Amino acid sequence: MANKKLRRAGLPQELCERLSRHQIVTCQDFLSLSFLELMKLTGQSYWNVQKLLRTVSQSCAPRMQTAYEMKMKRTINPSTAFLPTTLEDLDKILHGGIACGSLTEITGPSGCGKTQFCIMMTLLATLPTNMGGLDGAVIYIDTESAFTAERLIEIAQHRFPHYFATEEKLIAMPSNVHVYRELTCEGVLKRIQSLEEEIISENVKLIIVDSVASVVRKEFDTKRQGNLKERSNLLTKEASILKYLAEEFSIPSDSQSQKFLQTPEPLD
Amino acid sequence: MEQRDVGTFPLAPAWRAKLAAAGFQTAQEVLEVGPCQLSKEIGISKEDALEILKVIKQERHSDGAKPSEEPETFRKCTALELLEKEQTQGFIITFCSALDDILGGGVQLTKITEICGVPGVGKTQLCMQLVVDVQIPECFGGLAGEAIFIDTEGSFMVDRVVDIAEACIHHCRLIAEMHPEEDHQIALETFSLENILSHIYYFRCHDYMELLAQIYLLPDFLSGHSKVQLIVIDGIAFPFRHDFEDLSLRTRLLNGLAQQLICIANDHTLAVVLTNQMTTRFEQSRSSLVPALGESWGHAATIRLILHWNNKQRLAVLYKSPSQKESTVPFCITSHGFRDVQLSHSNLIPAENEANPRKRPRIEQVEEQ
Repeated sequence: MANKKLRRAGLPQELCERLSRHQIVTCQDFLSLSFLELMKLTGQSYWNVQKLLRTVSQSCAPRMQTAYEMKMKRTINPSTAFLPTTLEDLDKILHGGIACGSLTEITGPSGCGKTQFCIMMTLLATLPTNMGGLDGAVIYIDTESAFTAERLIEIAQHRFPHYFATEEKLIAMPSNVHVYRELTCEGVLKRIQSLEEEIISENVKLIIVDSVASVVRKEFDTKRQGNLKERSNLLTKEASILKYLAEEFSIPSDSQSQKFLQTPEPLD
Repeated sequence: MEQRDVGTFPLAPAWRAKLAAAGFQTAQEVLEVGPCQLSKEIGISKEDALEILKVIKQERHSDGAKPSEEPETFRKCTALELLEKEQTQGFIITFCSALDDILGGGVQLTKITEICGVPGVGKTQLCMQLVVDVQIPECFGGLAGEAIFIDTEGSFMVDRVVDIAEACIHHCRLIAEMHPEEDHQIALETFSLENILSHIYYFRCHDYMELLAQIYLLPDFLSGHSKVQLIVIDGIAFPFRHDFEDLSLRTRLLNGLAQQLICIANDHTLAVVLTNQMTTRFEQSRSSLVPALGESWGHAATIRLILHWNNKQRLAVLYKSPSQKESTVPFCITSHGFRDVQLSHSNLIPAENEANPRKRPRIEQVEEQ
């Protein structure tokens, strides 16, 4: 949304041309200017600038919804609101499982089962909805080379022996899991930025990043000046894209996806 | 109107003569000078000069000239008028009586309150509590208002709001049972879960541009929804903490935002609540946690509340307030929402000292008063 062109915001053609001579092309450029600058650049009066601001704002402001509408959307289609973890107590405190349309972070010391949990959630998301799953594909961004398909099959056969009794089902399930090995920060960011198309075409319902921290810790030496700032900049950017994707695709009529981050330790 | 002759205004003949003698012919000429200059030029006292100016201005108004001075008189009021206004204004309670006490009754209308804290300490929980509490009917001591929730982080959980709202309705029911009055029953009929949820107007802003756009549009939205008494922005920091090369632009945008919010809060008599993240600041060899967005942002909010952990206890520190003294109180978050801690008071004092070693001891001053 940030790069929406002023032309598409309903401003007169003439004015857009005038502004583009000052490198004001997108709505973001426009809204970042102060009142005085706007009056100078557009050559319009105070009242007209106020009107222009309103037009531009209206074209990029979010749509309002009441909490009641949000609640109704969830009650009409409860299976798309949460992905149950099948751990009864955990589901209870989470209101039903991992929330769709938002970002969940799993943290813990090494060896306590974070990756195991991720693999299990991968399996659950591919299950049909009548078995508590989301009936969709999974994107698994693996930065530690920790994902093993063998373990995925093993869990599947032990947890749901009846469902995975046939060879056909056992092949269909892992073919719905798209694993990306990204071993650099840049790779992870690029991957996350390019997910949108795949989410639509492959009917992705869950995205797992395992883990955000490992690449970041390898590449950023926190002792060096300025590195810490750059690191938090990168992480916030990743989080903001993931949040956007999660929400965009949690519309019940649309495909449903979940974000799922795994980090070994809390980052400061 | 400007060209009207001075002689035609209802002024004392002596003054009229003096004005004419000094060469003043039209109203415009008189209005161009201030009272001090006028008194010198025609040789009368400053009070008389002011009187002349007032008469001329008044006459021009009744003549139908543009009332250019009007907005100024709107904004101005004496402290006495303000006192009366503040006393009739309600507060938004937090359901944690200790926190209400240090805030002076709850979250104040017409002010900006900033809530800072580390992740998971309860900032969003407090916000969700407030959007429910602002709707408590008047006969239960509430404001019977509505709320706007602007979410930049995607952490608004409607299922959690349902929990909080149900607990709040239950609480009001209990009050009504203890004091069976007619207006309580009537109020409870409309204070339902469905009504509470439909009076929370939710906006999800994905980046700072959407946030800026939304704030520009708020006055329009508010004129269509006059019962809104609370605007929550959760949180102000997230969209401004990434993708910003130009820090001076960030500061300017944030200051502009704060200014707009203050205007909105005053014009519509509503409370603005912002949440802010914490960041690590390094000073020589040690580091400390401080609210994000830099030093200058600290001036933006009128009231600043910092939530933090001490061992297993959540604490709220009133860090900045024009009317209340700084203090620390414990709170907790239950399945019903934001609540008081059920503990004996003696357990809490050591925790407070530990949390704020550098704070001035103010207990003695209170005793003197």
